[in-house]
Amino acid sequence: MTTAPAAAAEHAAGDSYLTHGKGIASWLFSLDHKRIGIMYLALIVFSLFLGGVFAMVVRFHLWDPSGGLVSNDAYNKMFTLHGAVMIFLFVIPGIPSALGNFVVPLMVGAKDVAFPRVNLLSFWLFVAGAVLFIATLVVGGLDTGWTLYPPYSLESSRGLGILLALTGVFLAGFSSILTGVNFIATIHKMRAPGQGWFDLPLFLWALYATGIIQIFATPVLGITVALGFLERVFHLGIFMPEYGGDPVLFQHFFWFYSHPAVYIMILPAMGIVSEVVAVFSRKPIFGYKFIAMSSIAIALIGFFVWGHHMFVSGQSKWANIIFSFLTLLVAIPSAIKTFNWLATLYKGHIILKTPMLFVLSFFAIFGVGGLTGLFLGTLATDIPLHDTYFVVAHFHFVMVGAVMIAFLAGLFYWWPKMTGRMYDERLGTASAILIFLGFNVTFIPQFLAGTMGMPRRYATYAEQFVGLNRVSTVGAVLLAAGLGVALWAFVASLRHGARAPANPWGAATLEWATSSPPPHDNFAVAPRGVPPYDYTGLTHASDEAGWIPVRPEGAR
Amino acid sequence: MIRLPDLLAGSLIAAGPGYMPERASSVAEGVDQVFALLFWMSAFFLVVIIGLTVLFVIRYRARASRPGPEASPDHSTKLEIFWTAIPLLLVFVIFAASTKVYLAMTELEPGANPQRVQVTARKWSWWFDHAGGKGSKELHVLVGRPVELVLASTDVVHSLYVPQFRLKQDAVPGRFTRMVFTPTVPGTYPILCTEYCGTNHSTMSAVAVVHPDQASFDAWAAEGKGGEESLLQVGVRVFEEKGCSACHSVDGSPGVGPSIKGIWGKDEKLTDGKIAKVDENYIRESIVTPGAKIVAGFDDMMPPVPLDDREIQGIVAYIQSLKEGP
Repeated sequence: MTTAPAAAAEHAAGDSYLTHGKGIASWLFSLDHKRIGIMYLALIVFSLFLGGVFAMVVRFHLWDPSGGLVSNDAYNKMFTLHGAVMIFLFVIPGIPSALGNFVVPLMVGAKDVAFPRVNLLSFWLFVAGAVLFIATLVVGGLDTGWTLYPPYSLESSRGLGILLALTGVFLAGFSSILTGVNFIATIHKMRAPGQGWFDLPLFLWALYATGIIQIFATPVLGITVALGFLERVFHLGIFMPEYGGDPVLFQHFFWFYSHPAVYIMILPAMGIVSEVVAVFSRKPIFGYKFIAMSSIAIALIGFFVWGHHMFVSGQSKWANIIFSFLTLLVAIPSAIKTFNWLATLYKGHIILKTPMLFVLSFFAIFGVGGLTGLFLGTLATDIPLHDTYFVVAHFHFVMVGAVMIAFLAGLFYWWPKMTGRMYDERLGTASAILIFLGFNVTFIPQFLAGTMGMPRRYATYAEQFVGLNRVSTVGAVLLAAGLGVALWAFVASLRHGARAPANPWGAATLEWATSSPPPHDNFAVAPRGVPPYDYTGLTHASDEAGWIPVRPEGAR
Repeated sequence: MIRLPDLLAGSLIAAGPGYMPERASSVAEGVDQVFALLFWMSAFFLVVIIGLTVLFVIRYRARASRPGPEASPDHSTKLEIFWTAIPLLLVFVIFAASTKVYLAMTELEPGANPQRVQVTARKWSWWFDHAGGKGSKELHVLVGRPVELVLASTDVVHSLYVPQFRLKQDAVPGRFTRMVFTPTVPGTYPILCTEYCGTNHSTMSAVAVVHPDQASFDAWAAEGKGGEESLLQVGVRVFEEKGCSACHSVDGSPGVGPSIKGIWGKDEKLTDGKIAKVDENYIRESIVTPGAKIVAGFDDMMPPVPLDDREIQGIVAYIQSLKEGP
């Protein structure tokens, strides 16, 4: 058997996916999952920047209790667009569409995803959705909150903005469904010879679970926003009491998607953590099957907990009690994952490179995010905490803390594979530390403010909260600085980063068995499945050559 | 932040984190106990997670004296069962503690005779129609006397929140929602809106005044009374003006439709055999979509009557008065 890495190394001298095909059209209409992944990445990083700018306006406005920077209406638009852009254009698509698109086919040793054309369609639907969000800004913005609750969101005085936003969500949702379909089909049908289900990297188990949610929950979002659109235009009487509709029905529909959507966000993040923690501990992941199955469990339980967003909506108290119990159950698979990751560190050989630093900070932040979720799933404490800053802090710990930090872990981890360049470890380390500090300084005060009774979505607030808000704003500046350093690390890497070897981290999953960056067809020789976390067959040759197989003709 | 005296008193659960607002309702203490339970449980697990992470990184980090990982198993079914069972057990503990408190938050003691207040939320203010007929921008209640708030909204979804009571309830247009509590400490507390409702959401506030004794409450109720139409007066007027009395008697005698005397709180038998309790939402539905529930023995012949929220609240008050006296 010819070894894949050796053949790939020869290959690397010539063609790579980056040089295969020239000109802008060869990118925009590429069917190559890697190029599509890179295009997603560019859009998603731009969305993060845009959402971040809105966030900074929000934080500086709240420096002063009477609202120092903009009018109440402008503030309401800022927090709405911050939420909508971050959720629909960054957190939900971030890991699956950008990083997932790049690595899923590589991890199963395939040439591409199962449906490359559908993949390109998915990308362009996403672009169309994003353009409509930008158009919403142009026609005067939107002040409904990202949750789009009627009657407020569908009042007859509203202009074009709400219709553009609903259409944007609809298109972005379709993009998400198609990505899910593609990943599930790819994982089912295109695995390398010899790669059984339990030889899949855990990132793929996570994306598989994510795909289940994308396929079954996202259509409900599509139907909901379509009904909202029709209600606004034709007054069908579905959500608006003045036409005989029920606004609480919208909340049910919306959260039937939007709660599982939280798991669309967090499961891929957990997948990245599982990859990185094993590679940088130089040990097989602990409890592989339990981690894999807990992803599926979270996806399934996640369908039955949406009612916890509606504990004070007036729904039946018995429904509340059942939803509360089901919500608390999510703690169990989350705890299983956390303890298995910690057990992976035990007796390992822990290498503190940038991806691992992000993952270690993930443990603390996801810990806080998950545990504070208990306060909100528990009825007695949710009633006072509902719609206060406690909730804001909680979901930022999960969505920003955990998901964005895992996204960065994944980006630093796969960056050499994607670009063929190494980044500067000092810059990476500095960004990981700054982001961790900035994040905590921003959001820990918000837990306190919420517990003390500060409601969310307030353009002005009581004097008693001024100190906490100012600390939070200072934290946001630190967090932005940390993200700036990360961006600096990536730009510097593109300009003068050292050439990346095929396998710089000593990982055993298949994407590292081909050159960095991979050739257009991914592998010079179709690889066979290997145990994804068995590092015994690899040895560190040098920083330039990376990790190479111990026995070139061996089993690997 | 932790209250030392509480800690010394021997109970972590009683201690809590110490930054909660003061407690001014009968359910606040129960809520704070569940909060404290979750707080200490979370603190424990966070110390375990962060502690083990730091410990393992220090002990097992790659360095000259540590060339590689040590042999250790890559799975352990016993451990997995252990850390599945412990959280499962805790879930049951949390759920039990929470549900007990929650039920107390949604129900008054059996036989309680609450002061009923109709609350109307609108952009961007609150209005409280008190049982005695007095309307006010402030909520006035009496210490120790149970209160039942019936919330309505005339425009979008709002939410009534009093941090010191540990209670919150959405006001939803097109239906009535309910919140019950017993105030325990005299004083004045902020009422905040916690469901985003537009431009002045953050200033949509009012106050809840808890009177220390009946005399103080009565003095407030008497002052300026009679200035405007009370809800009951609205109901009596609308009942005549809209011609309701042509079919619905107020003395219990049968007409084309059921009499409204004595029906408040009653379980009505319907033509389809189901039972419906006469409450605010039943009355609203019977006015807005009369065909939805037909009382057994009557025909589906009433036309929908488009009343506004205040008129519906008035009819509710009128029907209540025919059961309980004004």
